[in-house]
Amino acid sequence: MAGRNLRRNRVRTVLAVLGVCIGVLAVAALGIFGNVLALGANDAIGDIGTQVVVSPNSDTGVESLSTTDVAEIRRAVDDPAVGDPAVVPLYSDNGIVAGASSQTFATIYGVEEPDLAFEAAEGELPDRHRQGAIIGAGVATDLNIGTGDTVEIVGSQVRVVAVLAETQTFSPVAPDDAVFLPESAFAADGYAQALIISESGETAQAAADAIRREVNAREDRVDLFELAAIVDEINGFFDLLSTFLLGLGAISLVVAGVSILNVMLMSTVERRQEIGVMRAVGVTRRDVLRVLLAEAGLIGAAGAAAGTVLTVILVAALVAATPAVDASLVIDPTNGYYLLLALGFGVGVGIISGAYPAWKAANERPVEALRS
Amino acid sequence: MYSVELRGATKRYPSGGTEAVVALDDVDFAVEPGEFVAVVGPSGSGKSTLLNVLGLLDDPTEGWRLLNGTDVTELSVAERTTARKGSIGFVFQDFHLLPALTAVENVALPTAFDPGDASDRAVDLLRRFGLGDRLDHEPSELSGGQKQRVAIARSLINDPAVLLADEPTGNLDTDTGESILAEFGRVKEEGVAVIAVTHDPLVEEYADRVVELTDGVLVGEDVDEATSVDDTLGDRDSESPLAPGEQ
Repeated sequence: MAGRNLRRNRVRTVLAVLGVCIGVLAVAALGIFGNVLALGANDAIGDIGTQVVVSPNSDTGVESLSTTDVAEIRRAVDDPAVGDPAVVPLYSDNGIVAGASSQTFATIYGVEEPDLAFEAAEGELPDRHRQGAIIGAGVATDLNIGTGDTVEIVGSQVRVVAVLAETQTFSPVAPDDAVFLPESAFAADGYAQALIISESGETAQAAADAIRREVNAREDRVDLFELAAIVDEINGFFDLLSTFLLGLGAISLVVAGVSILNVMLMSTVERRQEIGVMRAVGVTRRDVLRVLLAEAGLIGAAGAAAGTVLTVILVAALVAATPAVDASLVIDPTNGYYLLLALGFGVGVGIISGAYPAWKAANERPVEALRS
Repeated sequence: MYSVELRGATKRYPSGGTEAVVALDDVDFAVEPGEFVAVVGPSGSGKSTLLNVLGLLDDPTEGWRLLNGTDVTELSVAERTTARKGSIGFVFQDFHLLPALTAVENVALPTAFDPGDASDRAVDLLRRFGLGDRLDHEPSELSGGQKQRVAIARSLINDPAVLLADEPTGNLDTDTGESILAEFGRVKEEGVAVIAVTHDPLVEEYADRVVELTDGVLVGEDVDEATSVDDTLGDRDSESPLAPGEQ
């Protein structure tokens, strides 16, 4: 019966459905855009939050990390509560690296276990780095060299055993523009820094806290450079952005709700006599309310369904047209949550906006309604 | 036992001024099963109010109302709705069929939200009124007489004790009006009390009894309790100087 009443005034019904449809589209699309943005940003900056760089605190006269310091750091983080992160101490220097035809200025690190912190694009990273050079992706491109070639590093010829994959994220170590040699190539007294590689932002922060507590117990021997806190801030910002975008969408849904309210009010005013007749012949107030609410709910549901389908199409079209957006981000399950949210919102708005006119019509005295 | 009965029923409407408008003034009125009563009177004489009070759409301000011998003077909204559905059928001047529904669905409307399907009974009723070939037509596809027949069928779907008709022939030509009144005759034969409010002299011809309502006071050619006429005469005279001429 509700469906047939709606078909009677098609234009008005279609307009109301369109209103909800656009409202739902706005909520779902803006929600998904915000989410994709946040997911994309998380993808790009996520790793920096998992690294902690420990360096000697020159303010207190510590120039380098001794093996004792490194042992202490290892002891501090050797705890399941902080995720047992890998500790990779690094010697560090700068120098000229020359290939066959060109040369560049690069950071030169000494590292024993490169496979704990880096990934190779070419060749294989040894468990123990004993000979040869591992070249950062940027340096390899600049010098146009690959695995098996020989480079001259600060005067000595070294064979390249691996080229690192280009890093996707910002890291204070900047491995792209660096060359990694075995620790034996360095005659330095201590390590310039130690990398702590954690599984997640939280464990990284826990590791940093543990190091502060243990290693800096008596004096501030080390400086810690951690980005987890910054990542938290960035995530917080994206949460805010998502909420803001959802808020924008919600405004359009409210407008849609007002349009349903208008449609239902018009419809009940127009059908005042009909509703009066229904009441007069013995249809209860509850049943009148149910019919009218069903009409509003149908408008809401039809609009919400159309809006959801449109959103899927729109998002798919945008992904197809924008190569920069990773499709895997868009089909992330959290986006489905926004679709469901918008769908539920649409139906809810329909019923809420229909409630007042329905209640008003159902409670009108049939005598008054029939008189007009 | 009367199908429906009013005893000393008075209905006052609050008006903007100091004095309330008296639509029904101490009305005693009763209809037996199978009786066809026509209520006549000038516009504004309280005919519609009488019908609304009889039909449980409105409550009397004073007095009693009985339906099949049961006091139904003061009922809640829900109880009135149930009582209307169970015992009272309405036929309106403008037919008041729902345009979105077919003839069968319109007839079954009072029971549309009840468990069970009343379509079979609705079809039987429509066949009885000669509309067997119009079952699935919408009101817009029916003539005035056909619409009024659908409305009468609707009023009978729940086997009512009382059928209340408000100007049932008002929108129909004479021939169609006569056929509708003939239908009322048949309904009456089944023991239903039929009360029709009308301006149409034709209705008076078909009625067993005609009562006249003037300024809320009931006077009749054949009123059961003659005393009520005497009691109310003085009141009416004082309220309306025009009324005596009609007496």
